[in-house]
Amino acid sequence: MSIKTAQESGLALCPKCHKLNDMEEGADIHTTMQCTRCHGMFYPRKPHSLQYTLAWNIAALLAFIPANIYPIMIIYSVGIGDPNTILSGIGEFVDHGLYPIAAIIFTASIIVPLLKIVGLFLLVYRVHTGVRLRPDKHSKFYHALEFLGPWSMLDVFVVALLVAVVELGFVTSVSAGPAINYFTLTVIFTMIAANSFDPRLLWDKDQSNENAKEKNDC
Amino acid sequence: MNTTKDTSQLIACLQCDALYDTPILKQGQSAKCIRCGSILAERKVDSIERSFYWSLAGIMLSVPAILLPIMGVTLVGQYHHASLLDCILALIEHGFIMIATLVFLFTLAVPIVRLLGAFYITSSFKFNRLKPSLLHFFRAFHHLDNWAMLNVFMLGIVVSMYKLLDDTELSVNMGLLAFILWLICSTMAASSLDQDYIWQELENKFVD
Ligand SMILES: [Zn+2]
Ligand SMILES: [Zn+2]
Repeated sequence: MSIKTAQESGLALCPKCHKLNDMEEGADIHTTMQCTRCHGMFYPRKPHSLQYTLAWNIAALLAFIPANIYPIMIIYSVGIGDPNTILSGIGEFVDHGLYPIAAIIFTASIIVPLLKIVGLFLLVYRVHTGVRLRPDKHSKFYHALEFLGPWSMLDVFVVALLVAVVELGFVTSVSAGPAINYFTLTVIFTMIAANSFDPRLLWDKDQSNENAKEKNDC
Repeated sequence: MNTTKDTSQLIACLQCDALYDTPILKQGQSAKCIRCGSILAERKVDSIERSFYWSLAGIMLSVPAILLPIMGVTLVGQYHHASLLDCILALIEHGFIMIATLVFLFTLAVPIVRLLGAFYITSSFKFNRLKPSLLHFFRAFHHLDNWAMLNVFMLGIVVSMYKLLDDTELSVNMGLLAFILWLICSTMAASSLDQDYIWQELENKFVD
């Protein structure tokens, strides 16, 4: 037995207030609709979802390169500046034996952004080709990516705190480095990319396959 | 093809579009989509009351949480401390305007607007002052969901403490306590707000 979807029943879900709306005769998933409950305009599926996801994803990847090359903060001690990149900052925690903290920053700053970028490329590719698409697995993966996104801002907040707290004039002070701009852009771009992806596309392909199978069986 | 079913008797999964009959839920119950496992509908316990008081407490706590110093450092006899607002001002001073703007939005503006929004909606329900404009207000309210990052900032405080512990004398200030309480209040205010219930009530009143 297969599950019926809203789309097959000629219904579309408002993404804002979760009200089901009747689709007009002849309307398809890219026709703008107005919600009867909240009066917002919406599409039954996010239009050009894959293209937008891909574009924001490429932007995120490009910004991630300078984010790791340039220093994210510069620590001044008696007038001498010591530039720190994201990776050298993690290395310092390792040197001090603070492995859990090093692991947290490494996960938030390196693993999560890369996982999001690679993961979204993979999801876009799988939806586009429809080959080996596993909606149950892939939708869980997508939600994990979406949940992890904001945690990548960790390093930016740490730098902001250090810049504000460590302000002891000539003795020692901290300044942010150019990488903080690129890194923040990476995080924002991956968040927008994940937001542009419509997880229902994962199931739409599956549904049409199943329907085709059922027709063949008859 | 076009089934003329009453759409209020049906709900669809936001994540996979599967269609179900609207489940009848008691307070505290939730329904899950059998296909993708995400939550379809939820009926929260005492939603309006709880969200009202959490958001009221959050609004009051936001002032000390933002203005009181969170932590300070002492090195060779010199002391300096900083609050959440100081972080934003320091970034502006160093010329990082974009970062300052984003930190301002994620840790200050969005959380405050969400608290005020939750307070406005729940107090309208509590004191029976429902207006049609609430429909538009509540719709705009949802755009903010992903962009409040107080919890991430909290982890940032912990990490920077470890970073400072080694070379300086670290002191913790009242601002940290206020910030933690603020974080708890805004999380609770958001999670106790029953969106399905509010939409249903607004629809019954203002949409024919
Ligand atoms: Zn709507
Ligand atoms: Zn589902």
